Amino acid sequence: MKRRAILAFMLDRPGVLNKVSMLIRKKMYNVDTLTVCSSRIEGISRMTITLQEDDEAKVDQIIKQLEKFTEVVSAKELDTDHSYWREVAIVKLEVDATHLEEFHGRYNFEVLDQKSEDIHILQVAGSTRRIDAFLDEVGQEHIIEIARTGVTALEK
Amino acid sequence: MTGKKLLLRALKEKGVRYIFGYTGGAIMPVFDEMDKLGDFHFVMARHEQGAAFMSQGISRASLSSAEKQIGVCMTTSGPGAMNLATGIADAYMDSVPMLAVTGQVATGVIATDAFQESDVVGVMMPICKQTYMPLDAADVEQTVHEAIYVATTGRGGPVVIDVPKDVQNQLVADEYQFDAKSFRPTLPGFYYHPTPAREPLQQAMELINRSERPVMFCGHGVINSNAGELLRKFAEKVNIPIAFTLHGISAVPADHPLSLGMMGMHGTVEANRAIMEADLLISFGMRFADRVTGKLNEYAQNADVIHVEIDPSEIDKNVRTSVAINADVYRTLHVLLGDPMLTYKPRRRWWEKIESFRQVMAEDLRQEIELAVGDGGKLLMKSIIDKLSELTGGKDLIVPDVGQHQMMAARFYNYQTQNSWFASGGAGTMGASLPMAIGVKFARPAERVWSISGDGGFQMNAQELGTIMEQKLDVKILILNNGYLGMVRQWQTLFFDGRYAGTPMQSPDFGLLAQAYGIPYRKVETPEDIAPALQQAIDHQGAMVLEFICDPSEVILPMVPSGGGFEDMIVKRPGSEQPETSDSNGEES
Ligand SMILES: Cc1ncc(C[n+]2csc(CCOP(=O)(O)OP(=O)(O)O)c2C)c(N)n1
Ligand SMILES: [Mg+2]
Repeated sequence: MKRRAILAFMLDRPGVLNKVSMLIRKKMYNVDTLTVCSSRIEGISRMTITLQEDDEAKVDQIIKQLEKFTEVVSAKELDTDHSYWREVAIVKLEVDATHLEEFHGRYNFEVLDQKSEDIHILQVAGSTRRIDAFLDEVGQEHIIEIARTGVTALEK
Repeated sequence: MTGKKLLLRALKEKGVRYIFGYTGGAIMPVFDEMDKLGDFHFVMARHEQGAAFMSQGISRASLSSAEKQIGVCMTTSGPGAMNLATGIADAYMDSVPMLAVTGQVATGVIATDAFQESDVVGVMMPICKQTYMPLDAADVEQTVHEAIYVATTGRGGPVVIDVPKDVQNQLVADEYQFDAKSFRPTLPGFYYHPTPAREPLQQAMELINRSERPVMFCGHGVINSNAGELLRKFAEKVNIPIAFTLHGISAVPADHPLSLGMMGMHGTVEANRAIMEADLLISFGMRFADRVTGKLNEYAQNADVIHVEIDPSEIDKNVRTSVAINADVYRTLHVLLGDPMLTYKPRRRWWEKIESFRQVMAEDLRQEIELAVGDGGKLLMKSIIDKLSELTGGKDLIVPDVGQHQMMAARFYNYQTQNSWFASGGAGTMGASLPMAIGVKFARPAERVWSISGDGGFQMNAQELGTIMEQKLDVKILILNNGYLGMVRQWQTLFFDGRYAGTPMQSPDFGLLAQAYGIPYRKVETPEDIAPALQQAIDHQGAMVLEFICDPSEVILPMVPSGGGFEDMIVKRPGSEQPETSDSNGEES
């Protein structure tokens, strides 16, 4: 299934997130990721939702129904060709420092903390796929805990 | 000034005259204030659901009058508010503007599971257009104005204001000011676009002029924008037949030569067959519901679709459009009518075809109506409706309930008055008729109002006889009693091999029930008695209950089985020929 990102701007009011998530549930989707932050304009929040759907018309329907909420100022789909989709992961790893060295330069990460000889806390930023690749290459068996922000996106 | 005073001041300012409701702890301050002021006619319903449908009645019936009114219902918190939910969901499905005001527990105890606390905003959010909960008395007046604006602007819908008890009593600061006249709500996300764009109109004109086999659709939007007259003129000018959705009924006289009657699941043969063969559908103010289209991938496959609709989220939702006109129906028709490109085409072959479709069931129906009884000698609903139509000249206001009798009333009353048909359609809520008829009567007191229910639906809100009694309302009440939940029984006949699970129904003595409320009653069991009984109800000043003993085996035909396409339309009574069955009988009727 095709992964879609929907970007919506909305009034920063209680209950709006509730409405959006109820709409998505009503349409029987499972949200992949959802991020909310403030926008450039005071009182307006910016929400990025990713979910799986192949059918273009169904995505249009979600967008139209989002726009129907009086709190939603605008909504549209962002496709990967014309926008950046990025997320950040914070990862606690049990791994040799030398092993990590190998990835320097190839992946965009930063060591936030080294708790002991081989316990590291890293911050990795990039596309979902890039972060997945990094974690795979490091080796899933080294991961103790991971926190990911979910996707936020911006049009090119 | 207090929150409660400001609430009522705002309602008065917006022209509200009637408040339908039921009191209780969390709304007592507002009721108390209302009583002191004496500005409103308060109507106590016997159940909050009744109050919700009464307020719908006001809104629906006054749409076409010079003085539009928004229906308002008012209840206490918790159970009072929850009892409104069905009526609110119903209004949302049918795009009916209304305002529900509910009392809420005091802000200090919200979210503590206080006595009669329910999360009203949480419950109502997905079944209404907007919810509000003012937390300061200074916000109350503005909230009411914004709520009514949202409910009545664009596609109509219900709104809910949940007012905590302490906010009702709270005093606003001395310098509080609010100017209702100059107030405009700031709603950056509220999309309202009534004026049609030029380009799609141009394309629409071209498609219309080119088409050989067009059909025009008249939906609820035509009624809501008061565009019935314009639609009729337009149809006459271009010589295109009109099919109606359930809610489009009464926008144009039912016996107009261009009328095909209702379309969809229980639509006429001529409407559904014409749609099947059409090369162009021109639809005004509707949402292509499943009851209208049947199986989507078989729907009007060779037709271009022009869709005029105020709600952009309805465009391309179910049916792909060739030309989308996101605008108000009235304004669009107004512009179209003034277009010099508009041409009259005789379309002789198309009309010949339509005439032949009209003949498919005409003779059978005429005979049935004339006979007026089924095999068991009991009355046919269609004959009762036909007689009612004749005696009233098709001019009265009809408020059906939900079921077979509703479809009969949709099909066999000859609607002559604009906006004279008020039905629960999208939700199909049994029990809607009696309370809705009460609201309709308040909105249009000079006209005769008929509440027509089945034995099942009548008993869902029969308690509102008490409201009719107390308000001394002249509402004519017909109970078409077939001893069954008839519409479901029809499905059982057609798709469940005649197994009648959960549909036979014993009723009380409706005569004694009417008597208990001091309302005259007459039972009708023979065809000869139909007309005199109806005439008695017409002549009687005040409410009257007529019970008709109806044939349980009467079916409303044609019928497109749920999930089927128009190809599967059943036109013959079961028994006279094996009906085609559908494999998808799992849906609710
Ligand atoms: C509140 C509610 N419950 C259940 C239904 C399902 N339903 C649709 S029509 C119908 C039967 C209605 O029976 P009755 O009121 O006697 O009318 P009839 O069809 O016999 O004319 C039922 C149960 C419904 N529409 N609404
Ligand atoms: Mg019945």
